[in-house]
Amino acid sequence: MNAKLAAAIGWLAGAAILAALSLTLTGYHADLFRKLLLTATLAVGYNFQFGFAGQIAFSHYAFYGIGAYAITILSTRFGLALPVAALATIGLSALLALMVAIPANRLEGFYIALATLAFAQLFVVVMVQGGDFTGGPDGLFGFDAPTIFGARLAGANFMLVVSALFLANLALFAALGRSWFGRACRAVRDDPEAAAAMGVDVARTRIAVFTLTSSLAAVAGMAYAFADNFVNPFVFGIDAMFVLLFMVLIGGAGRHAGAVVGCVFLFMLPEYLGDLVGRFHLLAYGILMVVVMMFLPNGIIGLWDRLAKRLRPEPAR
Amino acid sequence: MSGTGGRTLLTVRGLAKRFGGLVAVDDVDFDLDDGEILGIIGPNGAGKTTTFNLIAGALRADAGSIRLRDAEIAGLPAHKVAARGILRTFQHNRPFKGMNVLENLLVGAHRRVRARPWAAALGLPSARREDAALAAAARETLAFVGLGDHAASDVSKLSFGQGRLLECARALMGEPAIILFDEPAAGLTSVEAERLGGVIRGIAARGIAVLLIEHDMRFLLPLAHRVVVLDRGAKIADGTPAAISREPAVIEAYLGRHAGAAA
Repeated sequence: MNAKLAAAIGWLAGAAILAALSLTLTGYHADLFRKLLLTATLAVGYNFQFGFAGQIAFSHYAFYGIGAYAITILSTRFGLALPVAALATIGLSALLALMVAIPANRLEGFYIALATLAFAQLFVVVMVQGGDFTGGPDGLFGFDAPTIFGARLAGANFMLVVSALFLANLALFAALGRSWFGRACRAVRDDPEAAAAMGVDVARTRIAVFTLTSSLAAVAGMAYAFADNFVNPFVFGIDAMFVLLFMVLIGGAGRHAGAVVGCVFLFMLPEYLGDLVGRFHLLAYGILMVVVMMFLPNGIIGLWDRLAKRLRPEPAR
Repeated sequence: MSGTGGRTLLTVRGLAKRFGGLVAVDDVDFDLDDGEILGIIGPNGAGKTTTFNLIAGALRADAGSIRLRDAEIAGLPAHKVAARGILRTFQHNRPFKGMNVLENLLVGAHRRVRARPWAAALGLPSARREDAALAAAARETLAFVGLGDHAASDVSKLSFGQGRLLECARALMGEPAIILFDEPAAGLTSVEAERLGGVIRGIAARGIAVLLIEHDMRFLLPLAHRVVVLDRGAKIADGTPAAISREPAVIEAYLGRHAGAAA
């Protein structure tokens, strides 16, 4: 009961802090805050795909882009009402995810990486070559922030929505992660043959995880479209995807808190690194990542676990 | 022939498997009853492991039938065989390394889970209650196999013998009708093997049928109610441990067929 109460207080405190930041931050800091929240939402989902289910996939940012492009095109070009456009976007991204996952899962691990890498590259190419329909290399811009229930989805309203989206993703993946489904995912990651011997349908589990996490990346992408009311194909490229992978690895793959911590760390690092080491900041960033991955195999959260263990006496059995 | 007089649970008829020109399993028949401990023995290359894998769904039979009660299960993939209530252990322990001992057992309970995926995703009270009930069952099962102190342990902290007990406990968590053991005594010390034998007897006493393939006769003969002997893919004997150890065909297969042929 105590643990339940502590968890409830933790969630409420988190929500209160995010709400307070949403209502007070302005200008550059507001922009950093909402992009950080969107990236953290992606990181939490990618951690489930990669850290829990062990799928080495590179399509997470592509689905983020699919969400952003689809909602913009459907609501501005086709004039669909926002809820209709949102549902259609989710349907489309789920369908695309299935189309990638089903053939990729017939093949083994390495091919999932190749298939999703190809898919991610193809997405950027199609968006760049899409002419007027996708806006080509310039992307889509000049559309208005939508209005929901009379509130314009901009400024503090937008940040509140993104805060709620992040918390909802975190809560969903936390619940899923500690449920039978999360255990089945980790079993499939650790030893697919042994998982099948326990009755876990390995292919179905993999497809379900990929479709769910990819669709939720698209939902985050829908929100991203209205962060600046600007959608550009190069934002969703493979560079960003690798940074997302490093966020999860450095934070601690397979741990929700790790994904969030790793995201905050890598997202904020360039902000401070530039002042510290000037034009060498990219080099410093790279070296730091190599060092962390060499010496902290379980990421920042693994270091935290070790410290906490040292401070606390061994619990009685 | 039955060691326990229980109902027939598994009926294997005409089971066959070939790999290229090699006939690994050739027209094998046997039955397995409720609560029975059935051993399958034979010299190297006799087809024990292939028979095991055919039943577990790791391999597909070329011919023959495997019926669980009245349902045909030959040709089902491994996860569907498990879902029907036939769970297995691995000869080289294969725990889920990223999970602690208790979580490993909960994966074993996969076929018992009733909560729908969305109930799990939303953390609904019904799903949480089921989880708590399964965790309680897992603690009991750990105590039953003698790992009661290790619920929260990392699986890497277990000895090889404890790892084998974890294999048993994980399979037990599925409330199986049958547990298949793949050479359970392999790699164990005599003390560990004796302890494992006790656990296997306890499993059979719960009414769960046990089918084990085994090399080690000193482990198997006192444990099994009945033994099926395979040689070069075919069944050459089927009976109580005492009866099969007197069969000339068994003695010949084990002591060398040259001696037998010369006689």
